[in-house]
Amino acid sequence: MTVPELIDARELRTALTGTLESGARFVGAWATADGGWRVALATVQGTRVLVCTPAGGRVDSIVQTVGAAVWDEREAHDLYGLEFDGHEPLRTLVDHSAALEAWTTPVRGGGVHQVAVGPIHAGVIESGHFRFHCVGDRILALDPRLFYKHRGLERAAEGRGYGQALPYAARACAACSVANTVAYAQAVEDAVGLWPPAELRRQRTLLLELERAYNHLNDIGAVCAGVGFAPGSMAFAVLKDRAQELCRQAFGHRFLFGAVAVGHGPATLDAAQADALRAQLRELRADAAAAWRDLEFSASLQARLDGVGVLSHDRALQFGAVGPAARASGVVRDVRTDSPRLAYMGFVPASLPQAGGDVAARFQIRAAELEATWELLDGLLSEPLTRSAATWQEPGGGVGVGRVESPRGETVCMVELAAGRVARLHLRSASYANWPALADATAGNLLPDFPLINKSFELCYACVDR
Amino acid sequence: MFVLLRQLRTIRREASLRPGDEPRWLAIRHVDAGSCNGCEHELALLGGPLHDIQRFGLDIVASPRHADILLVTGPVTTRMAQPLQIAYEAMPTPRLVAALGDCALGCNVLADRDQLAGPLSELLPVDIRIPGCPPSPESIAAGLLDGLRAITQHPAHSSRVSTTRDRRPPQSGTVWPGHGNHQPKEH
Repeated sequence: MTVPELIDARELRTALTGTLESGARFVGAWATADGGWRVALATVQGTRVLVCTPAGGRVDSIVQTVGAAVWDEREAHDLYGLEFDGHEPLRTLVDHSAALEAWTTPVRGGGVHQVAVGPIHAGVIESGHFRFHCVGDRILALDPRLFYKHRGLERAAEGRGYGQALPYAARACAACSVANTVAYAQAVEDAVGLWPPAELRRQRTLLLELERAYNHLNDIGAVCAGVGFAPGSMAFAVLKDRAQELCRQAFGHRFLFGAVAVGHGPATLDAAQADALRAQLRELRADAAAAWRDLEFSASLQARLDGVGVLSHDRALQFGAVGPAARASGVVRDVRTDSPRLAYMGFVPASLPQAGGDVAARFQIRAAELEATWELLDGLLSEPLTRSAATWQEPGGGVGVGRVESPRGETVCMVELAAGRVARLHLRSASYANWPALADATAGNLLPDFPLINKSFELCYACVDR
Repeated sequence: MFVLLRQLRTIRREASLRPGDEPRWLAIRHVDAGSCNGCEHELALLGGPLHDIQRFGLDIVASPRHADILLVTGPVTTRMAQPLQIAYEAMPTPRLVAALGDCALGCNVLADRDQLAGPLSELLPVDIRIPGCPPSPESIAAGLLDGLRAITQHPAHSSRVSTTRDRRPPQSGTVWPGHGNHQPKEH
């Protein structure tokens, strides 16, 4: 259970340093409408939330100790007006009214020029703006400017009941909707004092792994598309489509909308349905393995992936990168190893013998994880899926944190409740954690390689913009 | 690519949509005006080998200057309203606007009103409406084809759509708004 710890805002940095030294990890920070500031940390005992109210809206920045908090502070500044002492320069992130110099990296020198791309891109791609600082074709720095799709979903969810607020978490992003809603359900259950029994844990795990399966199939195809290797992108587009059709047949929706609820599990399968899904997934697994073998033996594809868009192990740690992108850089960390509210007993995260942090590594880690996902799904479908409800435990503290490994990495949902309603909802998706790392991995590469590097991370814009 | 071919053979046989017999070639430009990425995922599959939208004489193009149809997803955020308008103005006339998905139709779980400029119908003249959250690739194809069929068959709308038959190069002196040197594609 998450216990909010009230501290003096002036003590935040000291309290944080002490906790980090004892092995805790930063998982997110958020501001509240009444001028509050919260920092969440994952520890071996569970999630700790440091709660403070900075006097006069000013608080010490934590970015010197926690590099991963840079975007969190910039967002809190833009949306809630908090000032962060020591965060220099505090560039705007969500606020688009500022001048170019206010949000871009200053880059000077002979032959330096900027290339502006977006918000509308050439293909069927989400909207976002990129500003590349280049010399010739070589990228020196990249400033991504997202939040073109900012819909104010968090604010719109506030004031609603738990059940009514869930669709807002789901609509943050279709491709991560299961991860986002399971994280939301976990956060609410944590805040009110509910615990999911084994059947509910199994049900949510199954949904999460189905989501991972179609996403990883999509993302492998996306890398093929990034180098213009049409046979690979087409084969995996069809495999992904088939995986989504299985989701629809089993649970009524191609993105599994409506399959997750707070406090109970509406998704059921009788014995025949479970067997059928299991058999179809085995068929899909065999076809995916054959398609992957084709890719491994395609020299022209493989030659384009090595050494491109390197995210080093140190940089991945520094930026707090998560998910397959972090594991491809040798940071073997996966929320599934620490998910007592889900059915991942004995799960071992995938790792690569040579985690070079380049496009090739991010490509290979997805194939390795896909194997683990097929294996998990096969085990989870050995029995029919029945209705189940969470059980009451000791009452919660009104603040809850849910952490889930989405297809892109650790997704964290924080919920604050007041009088049975959602007072604050904050979603920090894996894409949010990884965008700064992606921008860093781009530096030093050729501009025409950016689409490939971007595809190898395959981050969502919708999850980030909310 | 044996797997791909086998998949296509089995699934194509079951496909409910068949290419029509009317000759037509229309180019679509997609703009994401704040969607959850669901419509994009489904739309991307529409151009893939399984649904193969090109069978129906439709294709997704990279520039609004080459497009006949502006296909918009999302509830139109305040931040995407201007880029959307610019894309629309860059299109040659005659042009069509299609609203893809419930958000673009203004009837989904939307969000904070302060952050939204939509619905789309208040910003641009919507000709084709494709409901769904998100619509499946097949419903997108069916929605586009049905919408185009309705427009081409309705006399009041006959001037709003361009098909191979009625699209002619402009007479000398004809002004194509926004780009004087644009020439329509010929097929």
